[in-house]
Amino acid sequence: MIDLDKAAHKVSGFLSERIPVEKLNFHSMVEKKEVPIHKMSWGYYTGGLTMFFFLIQVVTGLFLLFYYQPTVSDAHVSVEYISHYVAGGALIRNMHAWSSSCMIFCAMVHLLTAFAMKSFEKPREITWIAGVLLLFITFTFGFTGYLLPWNQIAVNATKVGLQSVEYVGQYLPGQLADVPRILRETFQGEASVGQSTLGRFYALHVVILPLLLASLLGLHLLMVQLHGMSQGVDKPAKKAEKFISIFVFKDLSLWATVFLALFVVALCIPFDSFLPFPLLAPFNALGSTPQGIKPEWYFFFVYYPLELLPFWVILLASMVAVAVLIFAPWIFKGTSRRTLGFITLSASAYLVVMTVFGEQIYEFFKH
Amino acid sequence: MSLCTTRKHLLDPAEPALGASGFAVFAALACCTFFSLPAFSYPEFQEFVEKHSHKTVNCAMCHTNENGPVGEGKGQIGSLSPDEMKRLNSARGALEAGQNVDSPILNKFGNEIIKAIGKKKFVQLKGDPSKLFDALPGKSDLDGDGIPDAQEYMDGTDTLNKFHGDPGKLFFVNLSRYKLHIVLAIIAVLSLNFGLLHLVKGISILQSKKGG
Amino acid sequence: MIDTLLFVALPYLALFVGIFGSIYRIRTAPLTYSSLSSQFLENKGLMWGSLPWHIGITIILAAHIIAFLFPGLWQSIVSHQQVLYAMESIGLCLSILCLLGLLVLGLRRLTSPKLQAVTTTMDLVIILLLLLQVGLGAAIAVHCKWGSAWCSGTTTPYVWSIITFQPDVSYISEMPLLVKAHIVGAWLFILAIPFSRLIHMFAVPVEYLFRPPQNVVWTNSRKLESQDQAFVKEEARRHFLWAFSGIALGGFLLSVGTFRNVFSFFFGPRLERKVETELMETRLSRLESTVGQRKLELERQASNYILVGKLTDLNASNGKYFIDFSMQPAIAFKGKDEMPLLISAKCTHLGCTVGNKVDDKGRILCPCHVSYFDIVSGEPNAEAPAKAPLPHLGWVIMDEKGSVLARRDSKGKSQGSVSAEQRESARVYIAKNQEETT
Repeated sequence: MIDLDKAAHKVSGFLSERIPVEKLNFHSMVEKKEVPIHKMSWGYYTGGLTMFFFLIQVVTGLFLLFYYQPTVSDAHVSVEYISHYVAGGALIRNMHAWSSSCMIFCAMVHLLTAFAMKSFEKPREITWIAGVLLLFITFTFGFTGYLLPWNQIAVNATKVGLQSVEYVGQYLPGQLADVPRILRETFQGEASVGQSTLGRFYALHVVILPLLLASLLGLHLLMVQLHGMSQGVDKPAKKAEKFISIFVFKDLSLWATVFLALFVVALCIPFDSFLPFPLLAPFNALGSTPQGIKPEWYFFFVYYPLELLPFWVILLASMVAVAVLIFAPWIFKGTSRRTLGFITLSASAYLVVMTVFGEQIYEFFKH
Repeated sequence: MSLCTTRKHLLDPAEPALGASGFAVFAALACCTFFSLPAFSYPEFQEFVEKHSHKTVNCAMCHTNENGPVGEGKGQIGSLSPDEMKRLNSARGALEAGQNVDSPILNKFGNEIIKAIGKKKFVQLKGDPSKLFDALPGKSDLDGDGIPDAQEYMDGTDTLNKFHGDPGKLFFVNLSRYKLHIVLAIIAVLSLNFGLLHLVKGISILQSKKGG
Repeated sequence: MIDTLLFVALPYLALFVGIFGSIYRIRTAPLTYSSLSSQFLENKGLMWGSLPWHIGITIILAAHIIAFLFPGLWQSIVSHQQVLYAMESIGLCLSILCLLGLLVLGLRRLTSPKLQAVTTTMDLVIILLLLLQVGLGAAIAVHCKWGSAWCSGTTTPYVWSIITFQPDVSYISEMPLLVKAHIVGAWLFILAIPFSRLIHMFAVPVEYLFRPPQNVVWTNSRKLESQDQAFVKEEARRHFLWAFSGIALGGFLLSVGTFRNVFSFFFGPRLERKVETELMETRLSRLESTVGQRKLELERQASNYILVGKLTDLNASNGKYFIDFSMQPAIAFKGKDEMPLLISAKCTHLGCTVGNKVDDKGRILCPCHVSYFDIVSGEPNAEAPAKAPLPHLGWVIMDEKGSVLARRDSKGKSQGSVSAEQRESARVYIAKNQEETT
């Protein structure tokens, strides 16, 4: 009983430190908030940018909902209908595709900069963990959305992705070994990727994940406003600017510029152009798997190592990475910003190299 | 790339011996390859394109069916109606350039090739598929994406899909195609940013006045 | 005759008098060419009258001038339907704005006792004429729509013919009366410029808006204190003005563009019959392939045997795909013993469909992650990501009448045989339950 009391006390102590109720008002959360100015100030814009791309995803996604039909016979036709016949449909669909990539990119940059700036320091642990979860949800968005056009690459990549989940089972002991298989079957819904899978992924992509993301984002933003901007550099910045209205308007102006870039790119380069056209044909359930099935670029950093190294190595490494990410506020409590910056740079170097040169590296080792 | 020609198969939906469903058996058909009657398919072009563009392409580049002309699926010889057979035969007779062909086993691009250069010359080009680029009419652009068919053939991109082409080339084509929209958007964003910049300046002047 | 008088003689007279008269007046009486301000005398009416009037007329006049000076550019702009729509509706709104402003200005001149003192008859005439001219313009916008498009074939060449001293009335002789009246009105105004307050258009104080603030103050100590404050306020005001104009323009353009696209997106396409038919056919064929898939599933639920193919159709190097009872792909080969060899085509690594071509080492390839499987043993090659072998399937051979000639279970145990004459008619099946095959 005493232990329980102690634990409860601990929890309430933890929470009251992280959520200072006396600051829960408009004045201290919005009016008084200031954004420090120093050489890493650009980092403060990455989060807003990610949110901007999310907003674009919501809007363009709603547009697409008007025409998209989530059935195996109609999905591909309806996507083609949007692209080829609906006025502005190609632009909207293309924006959705480009913006999804941009959102993931920005989210990753945001995480890296926040890490380098040691923004997870006490009392901002909740903000950090919410942010890490948001990144995972964003990846899940990418994975579920990839299936919806129901073309060759979509279905086959999903097949491989889901099968990899089951693959984990062989490393688990006893009863647990079955869990990944059950998990895969739950998401797949039938013997192989088919109508049930499409329905499930659609529900996830359109309703469940957005709700999850929006609520977590709410928590994330509340926490950010509550604690204000983190200091970000070792020496407290001498200058600061008001969040309202200076920083907000600067943010808006950045959003406008980014929107322009997105608009031009989405108008001029169809996202599908980067794939060979046989992969864009409607999925044929009775044919063999075509060549060149691979995930979207933002999964390359785990995909190519997966192709090269034994599965268990990747499994272990990614489990460690996830744990480190989530518990970063405690693991790197005493680490200096210099060291954090070094870790960030090496991690970024790895991500960039694997994403850009992954294929060459793979070819090099396999042939 | 060595696998390119050895991978396409499909279920044959109309195998007569299969009874009610008619779907029970795969007819293993090589994509445009060895087992087909030699007169019908020309995989040399596909092989050339894949080598030249480093992109995977399949028979749907020129044929109706992604597995080539031989078989009994949609757009394959085994499934043709008498009328379609007639069209096929008249297309086979189009030895010289300039005849209107509408072969059911070919897609628009395939028909366009035969119409533009004639079957005789096409078969000759088999030895050097790169020459097809020069032989095709330079201006023909069936999908209207701004990249001529001959160029799309060399790039290994879809000649019949407006939203498929070499990304770099498409970028410049569309840039000039939508220049009015882009210029308007640039003006809008520039003036918006200009306004926001001055808003920020004005506010900071007022704030510094209040502070000082 | 009357056309020549109004559209050739009058213009030249107007241009001559207008240009030289204005130059003369500016030279000789430079202080009078900005209009007499009445802001001291009455402020409120001026704000509601002068501001809308000047905003409206400046933009409208600018549009007229651009259309006349750069007909090619103008034509390329208005050839976009949406732009034309926007242009026309903005023009109409602006002309109404002008009219309202003019009305306020006129009433103010007529009713304010202080203003009566400084109002000349010429001022009143000018206001009346302006009302008439702008009213005509608005009427043209309503009755003879798309003036911004048709002007390039009519009035623009007419104006150019006047400027280049080759007057050609034929461009406008067939125009409606409204348009002709508007043109005559325009020349009359040019004529009236040197004689009225209209001359102030050559003294537009644009730079006032955005110039650095200048504050005229008395230099006594009390006033000096507040000088700084006023200065800062002015500076901020200047920035806010810029900000407002920038945001307004940008916001306007963005919202027009967005609205146009959003509306047509939701309105949806109205397809031609041929395109619609093609689309329907595609939809139908996709539905049919789904139907085929469902039938396959049903067949596997209902029947105990599934036909793979005729025994003589099987080939040693080029496998025949079929779908097994669990709806997974499998391949049938002819084995070395001339009997069928059935092997699963679902890669044991990540479930891709394995290819059906046997290479010279007797192996088939999964394209996804490059695993080679030996078709006899089912084992993958050593470096392959797949570790487990592809399982073999059992089979049953029946003759035409359906009596079983031979069978083999999935473990490779066979019984029965097929004689040479039976081969021709023999068919290969897979059976639902392994027990039945053994």
